[in-house]
Amino acid sequence: MDQAQVAEKLAELQTLIEMSGTINMEVFYWWCTGLMVIIHAGFLAYEMGASRLKNALASGVKNILAFAFIIPTFFFFGWWIYLAMYNGFVPDFAAAEAGLPWSSAMGPNLTDNASGIFWGAFVLFAATTASIFSGAVIERIRMSSFIILAIILGSVVWILGAAWGWHPQGWLTVEWGFHDFGAAGAVHMVAGFFALGVTINLGARIGRFAPDGTPQPITGHSVPMSIIGLMLIIVGFFGFLGGCIIYSTGAQWTTIFGTPTTLSSISFNTLMAFSGGIIGSYVITRQPFWMMSGALAGIFSAAPGLDLYYPPLAFLMGITGGVVAPLADKFITEKFKIDDAVGAFAVHGVGGLIGIIGLGVFSGFPNVIEGAPAISFFGQLKSAVVMALLGFVPGFGLSFLMAKAGFLRVPPKAEEAGLDLVEVPLAAYPESVPATADHSTTPGNAVTA
Amino acid sequence: MNVSPITTWEGTEAVFTFADSPLAITVILSLSIAVTIGTVIASIKHENDTYIDYK
Repeated sequence: MDQAQVAEKLAELQTLIEMSGTINMEVFYWWCTGLMVIIHAGFLAYEMGASRLKNALASGVKNILAFAFIIPTFFFFGWWIYLAMYNGFVPDFAAAEAGLPWSSAMGPNLTDNASGIFWGAFVLFAATTASIFSGAVIERIRMSSFIILAIILGSVVWILGAAWGWHPQGWLTVEWGFHDFGAAGAVHMVAGFFALGVTINLGARIGRFAPDGTPQPITGHSVPMSIIGLMLIIVGFFGFLGGCIIYSTGAQWTTIFGTPTTLSSISFNTLMAFSGGIIGSYVITRQPFWMMSGALAGIFSAAPGLDLYYPPLAFLMGITGGVVAPLADKFITEKFKIDDAVGAFAVHGVGGLIGIIGLGVFSGFPNVIEGAPAISFFGQLKSAVVMALLGFVPGFGLSFLMAKAGFLRVPPKAEEAGLDLVEVPLAAYPESVPATADHSTTPGNAVTA
Repeated sequence: MNVSPITTWEGTEAVFTFADSPLAITVILSLSIAVTIGTVIASIKHENDTYIDYK
């Protein structure tokens, strides 16, 4: 074989390696996206189980519709927002051209193996964000109001947070050195604080508080279903966290911030934080609903540094999240009479907050973006405030307007009758228990299925 | 109806239906947006109808 033939063979080999790398990248994100769908199976089971029998299907419909509406709206404008708004509120039209819904990159394109698969992963992040919010408002929100709020959260608010803090040129990273590997800020804090804003205006379910303000337990019709749902969310989280890593052909994995990492690092810390969250909540509550919610809070409490922590530190961060989340939920319930049906604010909002600030405490890691400061406590703290406001202000503001217009909540009689009967209409278990078994709201008594 | 933007797979990029027809894309995209918004409006109407008996 002469030199020219060798060169030709090498060029062929190079092309093959590059194509193989490109396809491996697609395959990786394809399965991450598939795993993330399991998060929604989890949320579905979780929220249906956490609803009373008379609301089980309505909660399920709400959850399914959130997923369904996020996908087209994220296609229409969500992906464009991510590409355009990294700098704040002033869009970079040139950078976002490929995200326009009529762009040649936004459809089957043989020269672009990346756009669709990244869009797919991001749309699942968006749907996850909306599903986090949906659990907080079950059993009394109007379906249409919920859909509108879910679209705003999933296809506008969260992706704006992602553009600011979860984009290679996001201003939080470039100016303050923000680092948030597992999207504790853009996804969990934004969704948790949005949920808080809406629940304030939505008000508590009838019977949740006695006339003297004492909280009354409202138990869902299937706690085991909720627990299995939570476990499914955690399974799906491995897809979510995989989607937080950038695959580069022939090079080391990087985070979305450009810093080098490995799947191995994430494996160590995710599992340690997961177990820490369960143990933390077990110590405080002794009950399985909160143990699994605590597992989620544990992961979020370590999420920003899953690429950086010493695993036992991730474990301790997880324990912190697992302890604090149920206490935070109890605090907002007892002190502010807020009815967050599944503890979404405490688990996601507070868990994410612990995560962002926690990484600030254990900070000092360098950034790789030219001119960007290193990760620091104040950078993380200021970024956490931005994420909290970004979630809370639109959630509170929009729901306030909807409440004033009488468009946020179902009528009291419909709430008492149960939304399955009124809105769906279908009974969850028609051959066993009537959908309207118990509408008791006697003060002082627990309201059950 | 021929909606293919290509006549050969050689050197092709965007292969989706109507990729070479901005007008058709505008119509389909507008229709998709209208259906999405329309469904929300229909949902509001459905709720208002169902709530009549529960006012």
